[in-house]
Amino acid sequence: MIALLAVGAVTLGTLGLGTWGVRFARTTSDLLVASRAVTPWWNAAAISGEYLSAASFLGIAGLEMQIGASALWQSLGFTAGYLALLLFVAAPLRRYGSYTIPDFAEARLNSPAIRLLAAAIVLVIGGFYLVPQLKGAGLALNVVIGSPYWVGVAVVAVIVAINVAIGGMRGITYVQAFQFWLKLFAIAVPIIVLLIHFGGLPERAALFGDAYPHAGRTGLTISPGPAQRAQFPTAGTFRVGDRTVHVAAGATVTLPANVAIHIPPDGIVPVAHGTTPLRGHAWARPVGGTGQGAPLLVYSLLVATFLGTMGLPHVLVRFYTNPDGHAARRTTVRVLGLLSLFYLFPALYGAFGRALAPQLYTTGQTDDVVLVLPHVAWPGAGGTILTAVTCAGAFAAFLSTSSGLLVSLAGTLSHDVWPRVRPRQAVPSGVASRRRHFRTAAAGAMVIPALIALVARQVDISILVGWAFAIAASTFCPMFLLGIWWTRLTARGAAAGMIVGMLLATSAIFVGLALGEPTNGALALLQQPAIASVPVAFLTMVAVSLTDRHRVKDADAQMLALHAPEGLGLRLADGEAEGALI
Amino acid sequence: MSPTPPARRRLPSLRTPVRVPGRRTGLRSPREELAEATAHGQVYLRRLQRAQFGLALLALVAFGAVFGVLPIALYLLPTLDRHQLVGIPLSLWILVVPMLPVFVAIGWLYARRADALDDAFRDLVER
Repeated sequence: MIALLAVGAVTLGTLGLGTWGVRFARTTSDLLVASRAVTPWWNAAAISGEYLSAASFLGIAGLEMQIGASALWQSLGFTAGYLALLLFVAAPLRRYGSYTIPDFAEARLNSPAIRLLAAAIVLVIGGFYLVPQLKGAGLALNVVIGSPYWVGVAVVAVIVAINVAIGGMRGITYVQAFQFWLKLFAIAVPIIVLLIHFGGLPERAALFGDAYPHAGRTGLTISPGPAQRAQFPTAGTFRVGDRTVHVAAGATVTLPANVAIHIPPDGIVPVAHGTTPLRGHAWARPVGGTGQGAPLLVYSLLVATFLGTMGLPHVLVRFYTNPDGHAARRTTVRVLGLLSLFYLFPALYGAFGRALAPQLYTTGQTDDVVLVLPHVAWPGAGGTILTAVTCAGAFAAFLSTSSGLLVSLAGTLSHDVWPRVRPRQAVPSGVASRRRHFRTAAAGAMVIPALIALVARQVDISILVGWAFAIAASTFCPMFLLGIWWTRLTARGAAAGMIVGMLLATSAIFVGLALGEPTNGALALLQQPAIASVPVAFLTMVAVSLTDRHRVKDADAQMLALHAPEGLGLRLADGEAEGALI
Repeated sequence: MSPTPPARRRLPSLRTPVRVPGRRTGLRSPREELAEATAHGQVYLRRLQRAQFGLALLALVAFGAVFGVLPIALYLLPTLDRHQLVGIPLSLWILVVPMLPVFVAIGWLYARRADALDDAFRDLVER
């Protein structure tokens, strides 16, 4: 009940602030006017607020529980991505003055066709990124009010679509900044209270020793939903009603639907089919402890996150609230600091979950750990209040990230794709018609991700987000890096590289899915293909550009626009820029 | 993106008009060179761009030296998993705690140097 109140308050507060604030920021241009008063700290909090999604809030801890400490590379990669952005992209892109990735691609490469390609890739990346947000919403609402999974997905999809369509949340720096502090509070406070309550990490044997996850001193009651198969890593027993079942080591049993089972005190906890049972020391190894922790896979994940962050459609637009290139750099450094602070905490939830909420291994719902941990670990009022806090934080994460994503997707659909598909109606006449297009697009762009989220319940949030990063790193990252630093990049080269990177990354992911998500050996790379697809995309882009005779004619003026510092009167003024660059 | 495509932000043009058409003789300042995109102007800008790129690569190398080798180092040194500090394996400490400040430090140093390069260019052009 208290969790429902907290979630409701966060949702209404966010929507209310957004709708109320939107009067002051009706268009993106207004946002830019306001931006001069926005300090780098506010900006950095806003970027972090929009960035920290279900993957950060729920996914990392869930994956850590499931595959062990090697999941923590993800939080490092998510942060390090802003270092890549700082080093190679932030200041030049701010100086260049394009608002979206398709804008940049078209202007820099002098080619309207590449705008459509970039827009298509934005839709794919944004769609992949929306799915895990909705999945998280489904799980969270299930924890809060016990509703079926699909209800949460549908509710958040509808709320976000309506919110974006009526113009809430759009580019309002202060709302997003507030969201960051809310999320930091919601993830930090409960786990710190639990640490104090338990006086440190509990059950170290299961965490770092020889033990598998096991029931506590009072035993453990597990209520699985549908009937499912679970494996006992060592010989154990469980009780259903009055009947006691003995299971041999390594045997798999089918647990009945909707019947609670009871594990005796200190008994071994069965692990859902598809999850590998891990002893503590294997679980705690950051590299090489499990199949998913193989060094090659860790590096592939790091490549995807390090290089993929710059290609996320909802991140880029935030950089234009910086008044100039210097401010863009200062903001990015602060983002690194704020994200570093946040990512200290999810690791603790994974560890606590393994020690104190092992029933999640049986149900397979490890993505729930941040939500349910406090009240499982600490029955009573304290745990209930803390669970309300984490649930509210999770909702803040879904709302802010999916609103930001949907704004980008709807903008891309109505601004980039629609005019090309229907050239006759290309120029929307008047603000009203443009706004109608945008609204239709906002509703439409939500449909496919919501449908995918409904069928993707069994795929871990972190895995889904990893795909979005892998695709972004294989397409937009080479386009940005070469476009900003290399005069010879041509439109054909960029198009070829992005298409090759896109096809490689997506086909690897889908083949991996078709093979049932292999987790061991070279085949596991299909799940995280960045280490192969990114270099191939780069090489294709360079090779095709070098053999292309259609060079970008004004490459020198482009470099001036990207790299010359502001305030010298060197940079082209608006009218000239339009003429020269587009 | 918003439904109304935003206008490009007008960048303040602080000083005299940029273009000096038809001027062929006499000493020209770097500003005029750049504005006219002459060969010399290109040299100035390319020098700045190279310096910025070199700096970014240097920061990337520093990042790679600290963080990039970490996975393979932890893989090859399983002893770090066995030794514990306050009951938690050393490898986990190394993974979670010191890396994040390292990112911030590299970013901060880089941003300071990059701004300094921009300022040097500004001095050159305003001279």
